[in-house]
Amino acid sequence: MGGEDFPDDKKRHTKRAAGRKADKKKQKEPHKQELTAKQRNPKAFAFRSAVSAARTLRRSQDIKERKTHIPVIDRTPLEPPPIVIGVVGPPKVGKSTLVQCLIKNFTRKTLTNIQGPVTIVSAKKRRLTFIECNNDINCMIDLAKVVDLVLLLVDASFGFEMETFEFLNICQVHGFPRVMGVLTHLDMFKDTKKMRKTKKTLKNRFWTDVYPGAKLFYLSGMVHGDYQRMEVHNLGRFISVMKFRPLTWKQAHPYILADRMEDLTGAEAVRQNPKCDRTISLYGYVRGVPLRQDTPIHIPGAGDFRVSSVDFLPDPCPLPDRATKSRRSLTERDKSMYAPMSGVGGIVYDKDAVYIELGGSHSHRGKPTDTAAAEPPRDGEHQEGAEEEEEEDEDQQLVSSLMTSQHTIDQKMEEAQLQVFSGQQPISSQDAAMKLHYETVAGEDGRSRRRVLFDDTGEVGEDSEGDGDGDGDEDEEEDGDEEAENSEGEVEEDSDDEAMEDSEEEDADMSLNNPAAKPASNGLSNGSPGGSGEEDEDSSEDEEGDAALTATAVAPRQNARQLHKLIYGTDPGSAGAASDAAAEQEEQEPEVGGLFRVVRAEQRDRSGRDETDRSLPEPDGRHLSRWQTDEGRACIADCFVTGEWKESENASALLALDEDGMDEDDELDGDFEDMETGEKHEAAPPEPADSDAEEQMPVKKEDEQMTRKQLLEKKKKLKAMFDAEYDDKEGSSFYDDLKRDLDQQAQLNRSEFDGLEDELRVQFEGYRPGMYVRLEVASVPCELVTNFDPTIPLIVGGLTTGEENIGYVQARVKRHRWYKRTLKTRDPLIVSLGWRRFQTLPLYSVQDHNGRNRLLKYTPDHLHCTAHFWGPITPQGTGLLALQSVSDVSASFRVAATGTVLDLDKSVQVVKKLKLVGTPNKVMKKTAFIQGMFTSVLEAAKFEGALCRTVSGVRGQIKKALTAKPAGLVRCTFEDHIKLSDIVFVRTWYPMEVARLYAPVTSLLLPPADKARWQGMKTVGQLKRERDIRVQPDPDQLYTPVERRPRQSRPLQVPASLQRQLPYADRAKLGVGNVLAGPGQQHERVAVVLQPREQKVMKMMKTLRATYDVQQQKRRGLAQDRAKKMVDKRKADIERFEKRQKRVRKHVYKMLALNSGKKSGGGGGGGGGGGGGG
Amino acid sequence: MSQAKNSSALSYEGCKNFRMRIVLSTLSGKVVKIRKFRGRNDDPGVDESEASFLRLMDKLTNGTRIEVNETGTSVTYVPGLLAGGQLEHHCSKKRGVGYYLEPVLMLAPFCKKPLHLTLHGVTNSEVDPSVDQLKHSCLPVLRCYLLLADEQLQLKIVRRGMAPGGGGQVLFSCPVQRTLRATQWLDAGKVKRIRGVAHAARVSPAMAGRMVDAAKAVLLRLLPDVYIYTDHYKGDAAGKSPGFGISLVAETTTGCTLTSDVTSRPQGSDGPPSVPEALGTEAAERLLDEIYRGGCVDSLAQSTMLLYMCLGQKDISKVKLGQLTPYTIEFLRHVRDAFLTTFRIENVLPTEEEEDLKLGGEKLTLTCLGAGFSNLSKTVS
Repeated sequence: MGGEDFPDDKKRHTKRAAGRKADKKKQKEPHKQELTAKQRNPKAFAFRSAVSAARTLRRSQDIKERKTHIPVIDRTPLEPPPIVIGVVGPPKVGKSTLVQCLIKNFTRKTLTNIQGPVTIVSAKKRRLTFIECNNDINCMIDLAKVVDLVLLLVDASFGFEMETFEFLNICQVHGFPRVMGVLTHLDMFKDTKKMRKTKKTLKNRFWTDVYPGAKLFYLSGMVHGDYQRMEVHNLGRFISVMKFRPLTWKQAHPYILADRMEDLTGAEAVRQNPKCDRTISLYGYVRGVPLRQDTPIHIPGAGDFRVSSVDFLPDPCPLPDRATKSRRSLTERDKSMYAPMSGVGGIVYDKDAVYIELGGSHSHRGKPTDTAAAEPPRDGEHQEGAEEEEEEDEDQQLVSSLMTSQHTIDQKMEEAQLQVFSGQQPISSQDAAMKLHYETVAGEDGRSRRRVLFDDTGEVGEDSEGDGDGDGDEDEEEDGDEEAENSEGEVEEDSDDEAMEDSEEEDADMSLNNPAAKPASNGLSNGSPGGSGEEDEDSSEDEEGDAALTATAVAPRQNARQLHKLIYGTDPGSAGAASDAAAEQEEQEPEVGGLFRVVRAEQRDRSGRDETDRSLPEPDGRHLSRWQTDEGRACIADCFVTGEWKESENASALLALDEDGMDEDDELDGDFEDMETGEKHEAAPPEPADSDAEEQMPVKKEDEQMTRKQLLEKKKKLKAMFDAEYDDKEGSSFYDDLKRDLDQQAQLNRSEFDGLEDELRVQFEGYRPGMYVRLEVASVPCELVTNFDPTIPLIVGGLTTGEENIGYVQARVKRHRWYKRTLKTRDPLIVSLGWRRFQTLPLYSVQDHNGRNRLLKYTPDHLHCTAHFWGPITPQGTGLLALQSVSDVSASFRVAATGTVLDLDKSVQVVKKLKLVGTPNKVMKKTAFIQGMFTSVLEAAKFEGALCRTVSGVRGQIKKALTAKPAGLVRCTFEDHIKLSDIVFVRTWYPMEVARLYAPVTSLLLPPADKARWQGMKTVGQLKRERDIRVQPDPDQLYTPVERRPRQSRPLQVPASLQRQLPYADRAKLGVGNVLAGPGQQHERVAVVLQPREQKVMKMMKTLRATYDVQQQKRRGLAQDRAKKMVDKRKADIERFEKRQKRVRKHVYKMLALNSGKKSGGGGGGGGGGGGGG
Repeated sequence: MSQAKNSSALSYEGCKNFRMRIVLSTLSGKVVKIRKFRGRNDDPGVDESEASFLRLMDKLTNGTRIEVNETGTSVTYVPGLLAGGQLEHHCSKKRGVGYYLEPVLMLAPFCKKPLHLTLHGVTNSEVDPSVDQLKHSCLPVLRCYLLLADEQLQLKIVRRGMAPGGGGQVLFSCPVQRTLRATQWLDAGKVKRIRGVAHAARVSPAMAGRMVDAAKAVLLRLLPDVYIYTDHYKGDAAGKSPGFGISLVAETTTGCTLTSDVTSRPQGSDGPPSVPEALGTEAAERLLDEIYRGGCVDSLAQSTMLLYMCLGQKDISKVKLGQLTPYTIEFLRHVRDAFLTTFRIENVLPTEEEEDLKLGGEKLTLTCLGAGFSNLSKTVS
């Protein structure tokens, strides 16, 4: 920005256009073509093919379109909250070191023990909150929902770990924050080539998960346990300039990353019951959207609560003053840091207390002599340089002045004086106290009541006494109203509820001083006494008092402020009114017979709470006649197009202007002249404001001139609008229009309440993002306080309308492809949805073509299915993440499923297929009696008319349930004759119920050691495995091996008659051979008689084999001998060796003993030598 | 959990503003408990029309739990989710169809399925806004928010039914919307034309003409572009009781509409019978009254407009209104209870140019930051 303000005022070099030098140049350089090729020869560049041209265009349009995003309204406020930077990664990758280095980089301070979020000022308009995420999946999920930027640390020497991918998946589901990868441990690589390769592979993998081109930072090495300064500095600069796209969830919900928590419960209550519910206060910057008072919140890991009060506090880590504009960089003093959980931040102002951190017991004694070398954790605030000593002194003085003060604060307050108006007596606290006395009066119901008494005016006492007789004791508080009641004749008694009492007593004098106080336009407010009682002077003075003019008629002026008070002051119909029930009962009514009370007519409808519910007020005809008169019509004359128009919209004026515009020269001259006349009268204006009677003319002229100028501008604008509408420019697409509209809206959002006081602003807007607030939350489980661990992020997530309710959620889910197991219907699953983490029992289903949700037993592979579960109502389209357990750190991937919410309802329609099976009892032609399908007539009667089917596909219908035996017999007709052995089915759909389990994961309430070990409901499988329960299956349903006997066909029997006709060859033979071949017979052995030559060969072979066998046997024997010898030799060797060893050892021990004997204990050297020898 | 639940319940007393309490409870998902429901009345408890309204709400929603105690003097309403769809409801004849239609108009865009509602009952009654008036005053507001669903949004009078007998039939259909965009509606414009309908059922058709003449006599003095249709019903479409009425609409250059409506006294009621001329004049006068109040929406649609503003995204919405009606004032209080939204109310100061123009009564600008409401019932795919 700064650079643009100062134009480069160096004189630029201008080339000679003529002269000697120019000629020379011209000669030197050949003539250059000014026209481009396309201009010179347009034909060559014409389309050669319409198809390719179309393709080119399509492609270019594609690329252009891909760049566009749906425009969103940027709701970041002018002074945004610090950017949350989560440092995430598996253990031992250097997260803490990085946070320390970054903090040191930005603030020049060293924080050794970081706990919880650390907020620092990093630039003139940017603050950062660093938070480290430990290796707990609960923390990872919670943090992913609130961080704006993630520094994802990866140990490069090891590679990616499952945690990294788990976290990326969590991020994808809950809206992707900015992710910047940081590779550490790069110094572990000895080989640079290997390092380069690893970097590249890691980068590519990272890009596939984040987006191509995502920034991956390299931290190459360590210097004295820190990362290299320049690298950290560069990383810091990247962080400082990073831009963020608003995320849907964060743009719709307020949230706070609490950086401090205090327990406000009374010590006594805790002492009596250490387990009592606590009241805590949480501190932090509001983020997202404005946080409203009384908004329901969810603290992930603890549960749903309601904020009992919100206050905004001064910013503990403010952005540097805007006044010092000239400086570009931060001064040392602006580099503040705020980390209360880590013990940084000197003085903390609370709503009702101021905490001052004293740097040890001796800090107040005097100035520390060596500020520069002060211990960082002791007084982190006061570590600036020598030039900031004065400031430091201020702080010290503040503390020491408190210490040296002679009087108590009460005393001082008494002496203090306040001057409200100049020239008035200052009011001291005694004055205020003087005026207010009270006496205690015992009320009729035994309640002691404090009546206000004024000693100087005496008004109240008289007033109350005067009226007290009529209406009983109830009227004393609202004397202000009394007058009004008297004048208006409207009885207003209901406002005196007990809740209001105390406050009303206090401002009773205020309303009394205000004689005009009366209900504002009671025609408008049918019974809203509270608001009227509290009006102050200015609201009442412009009340016109025309009581006759009611709302239906030409109503009195509704002053906005007055209206606001009227509407939002107090409302008799709501909360406050609860207690006037009691008051009503107390009133003494005339009794009938001591039992019944007579209902008076006016009593029935005093508050107007039982008035007719009508949206239009009752018409009042009295004032309508006004519109028949001329003056009546005159006052709305210009509401019609026929009436007068504004100068800027007046057609005749605009036409006249047009004519002026025609001859511009004249216009200019005229203007000039006008200016002259204007100048002539210019001398007058300084004094004229009061003496405008004579000066009216010139002023008017000037006005005319002004309006003319304005009109010209207006005309230009109109022209531009016309052009924009009718000239087909490329800039005016739907997309651009939408973007412009949203920009305008964003501008309005920022500017609408700007400049309003914060106290007022929060009323309209809520606590806007960027404010530092203190939330008070009541009835929090004590474990949240007792088991508080600052390293675990404590998030307060605001819930919008309807989100505090519970209902059936329908979500589209897909089992994660890296998750090893399938998910089973009705198995407990931990779901992270919206702010919440909870365990629930989902049913999985798939939608059939007719829209029916059919139950699935298991999640399908690589397919989406629908999950129905009982859970918090969360807007549709919200991401959802499911885990089976948050406690086990398994080696595999933990994210079980991901999905989005589709629908929310108070009932579910999931059905399960149920086949009723029966068998025919008796089959007629097409009618069959089916048994075994139903158990009773009643049951069967329900299914009359149902369609059924046999296994073979014959369709039929159940006609009638029969009373005959067996019970549940039905008569069916089929389209064809069925067999008795058929099985008949009826296909039915059975509605399933979703189990109503919603168990928030209360990981924050667990003791620190168990924080990551939350155990919810276990799956049936888990329980069975743990307790070693095995299901005894129904033996019918077991698969048994099918035993099939080999088929034995009967012997072929050819009838004798047929035999006889066959030719002989084909006829069965019943001779001897056949008989022998039969199964019962044995073949007789046949003697083999050898020829002499054969005998010779046989003999030869026999001898050869015998000789070979003998040879082999001999050889084997020799080998065995050799082996045995070898073994013996070896054994002897070992024996010998051992013997020698023994001897040597003996010798050594002897020597050792000798040596130790010689120099008692000094035989170390000898011993060492001996050992070496052994 | 349960503790948080309890504290979010809204508790009220009396039967006043019953409908808005139920509507806001349904939208915000907060439980509403109403005690002392006509507790001191001779006829205590929920009356016929309110019971009918509760029944309509039951049809319109899914999972709603309504508990009315034995005497009917205490009502607990645990809202469900708005379902919508094809519905038919027979309204109580004690109140007009407008009594039921008004809250339905507020809820309709936030149903699960597009709403097609048929209401039977009294279309024109003295107490409640007539269907014609609602059509011309509230429907434009709805149309402005339901940007793309112009043709699906309709309110049609199939049969007209006058006060005691009823027998009218109204068809209302409305598309659903996920979220509402913030609007700034600050230019009311100038009235450019006046239209209207004079209707007569089971009476002489001349009645309508007489009303038109009387109304035009008043209006033509201010604007030449006045056209009032006459609409005579007979037979089945005329309902069960005789009666007549006139409803006028003033349209401005910026598309804002201001309405007025007058209906004849019902048959059999005490008091003199209505005279068509008087009705015509009164309608015209009321329209002028409405024009005097001015603003971008008329007094009938104020609450609807403010509700939609409040239900917008977390952005600033602004609207210029005339005087707030008592109903609107009550509505604002209830809105704060249900949605924690406080409106900023400012007087519109006339600019220099406008100072000497006669633009009727004082105008107000109401500004609010939307509650970030989204239709939780709608199914997305």
